[in-house]
Amino acid sequence: MTGPAALPAVPATRTARRAAGRGLRSDETGGRRESRASTVAKVVGSIALVAFAVFPAYWMLTTALDADAATRGSRLVPTSLTGENFARVFTDGDFGRFILNSVVVATATVAISAVVSLLAAVAVARFRFRFRTAILVMILIVQMVPLEALVIPLFLQARTLQMLNSLLGLVIVYLAFSLPFAIWTLRGFVAAVPQEIEEAAYMDGASWGRMFRSVLLPLVAPGLVATSIFAFITAWNEFIFALTFMQDSELYTVSVGLRTFFGQNTNDWGAIMAASSIITVPVVVFFVLIQRRMTSGLASGAVKG
Amino acid sequence: MSSSTADVAQHATPPTTPGPTPARRGALRRPPSWRRAQHRRPWLLLSPGLLLLAVLLGFPLVRVVQLSFQDYGLRELARGEDNYVGLENYREILTSSFLWQTVLPNTVGFAVVCVVLTMLVGTAVAVFLNTLPRTWRTLCLTAVMIAWAVPAVTGTYVYVWLFDPLNGLVSTVLTDVGLIDRGAVNWFAERFSFYAIATLNVVQHGFPFVAVTVLSGLMTVPRELYEAAQIDGASAWRRFRSLTVPILKPVFAVCTILSTIWDFKVFTQIYLMPGGNGGNPDVYNLGVWSYIESFAQGRYGMGSAIAVLLTVILLLITVVYMRTLFSEEEL
Repeated sequence: MTGPAALPAVPATRTARRAAGRGLRSDETGGRRESRASTVAKVVGSIALVAFAVFPAYWMLTTALDADAATRGSRLVPTSLTGENFARVFTDGDFGRFILNSVVVATATVAISAVVSLLAAVAVARFRFRFRTAILVMILIVQMVPLEALVIPLFLQARTLQMLNSLLGLVIVYLAFSLPFAIWTLRGFVAAVPQEIEEAAYMDGASWGRMFRSVLLPLVAPGLVATSIFAFITAWNEFIFALTFMQDSELYTVSVGLRTFFGQNTNDWGAIMAASSIITVPVVVFFVLIQRRMTSGLASGAVKG
Repeated sequence: MSSSTADVAQHATPPTTPGPTPARRGALRRPPSWRRAQHRRPWLLLSPGLLLLAVLLGFPLVRVVQLSFQDYGLRELARGEDNYVGLENYREILTSSFLWQTVLPNTVGFAVVCVVLTMLVGTAVAVFLNTLPRTWRTLCLTAVMIAWAVPAVTGTYVYVWLFDPLNGLVSTVLTDVGLIDRGAVNWFAERFSFYAIATLNVVQHGFPFVAVTVLSGLMTVPRELYEAAQIDGASAWRRFRSLTVPILKPVFAVCTILSTIWDFKVFTQIYLMPGGNGGNPDVYNLGVWSYIESFAQGRYGMGSAIAVLLTVILLLITVVYMRTLFSEEEL
């Protein structure tokens, strides 16, 4: 397994390379006693793990592309590919509108929550004040509250305030869910910026505001990106509130709009899976992206600080 | 999902600096007005966030408790008036056999099975990933991330499709093998098989969090410890039992408790399966029951009482969580 990476970068025929690889491996096995059985176990284990982890996503995407999606049965690979299911989602269904609604709601949530949570994170990470611990504990506890407990009072309240069937109402509610987590996470990023840099900025005559803008903000930017993406995903995926608040189908977000593709007796699985793929793919891309971003941002922040 | 990133951030936090040295503090002496501003600043910074949380989380929590003591239906909603009935809702819930024979076993049994399976699979995957060479590990981790990222809504629909009685993958395979007749078995109609599918769905979606968190814990354990144990002749299982488990105990504790909280309040995965949205009362859990009482039956007071019950259970688990967390790190 380590063969190709460890080889010198000289052009070689395949057989020569294989021979070199074998030589290298036999050297290593002498030292590390890594048996062939354990290598096989690792390969088999990796394949099994990848299959288990990715299978639902794979099945979703391939059904969406399958020309005979409804009668797919146990065909692992579609016989013929088509974009027809995706097209139907936009022509028969109103999915374009749902996507637009979701994008509007998620973007507004992200923008507001980024500003509010950064300010709060600076407060709890940088200042020692009364009730600080109490506030941190509250932020933690609040994340455990089940949405089912909040949806009833918030629905009744929104109804009174005529905020049902309004994207703004949804944005306000999503803010509440994304804030505690964003504050909690950003607090770690802010704390990772050494106090000395701030002191240095003061020494150079900067005011607190100037220091915040020119020193702290750029240094916590990676954290801000990461928490923003999480806020986006939260709003994009949310189901209960979107289901309860949006009674007008014009205002459905993607996760609720998906339900419109279910028929009375038969389900159009090709279209459902196509729409599901459209919802899922951006989230997966974002997710894989920030996981790398989070760690690299943290590392550089810690070293350079 | 959420807390893993919080953990990452925590681990990366360098040891807190002891603050400015006396000499520097002298150089930075500020006028009293500046110090006063410094005093007010944290509250100024916190105020928008606290305000939002108070209005959107604090107020509804108080209100849901109020509602739980009321017979609050469509009539009260239309008139906008309260109608207190004391503990009537709680009495009705706690004395109903539906709670004790259906809803609570569904909620607790499902959560316990999911937590145990999620922890086992997640830990096994983490230990396995830790033995892989770098390229392979990155590849496998990406796959694990994909499992994590698939939204609950779309993930659930995939499982509904996979287990579709007529044309689904499972039904087709079993028909081909000769075990069942196509369309003869509807797994969603039966309580046990319904929850088996939900368990598969939740575990498949939940194990990545455990795997990634435990893996990051494993990577902090010094390799020398394992080498020393190996020289002393400890087997792989022994090394896991006597080294990994005690060292990573706090990580396991946090993962277990968070998974417990999440699995207790699973809603979307149940609600979106056939029968889960009211068609089949046999499969209700606390969250679904509360939602349906409120929004399908229009009994908001009753639904609130069920929701309060769920919240109290989660709060108790949270207390345990906080205990574990606070002994581990200073806030």
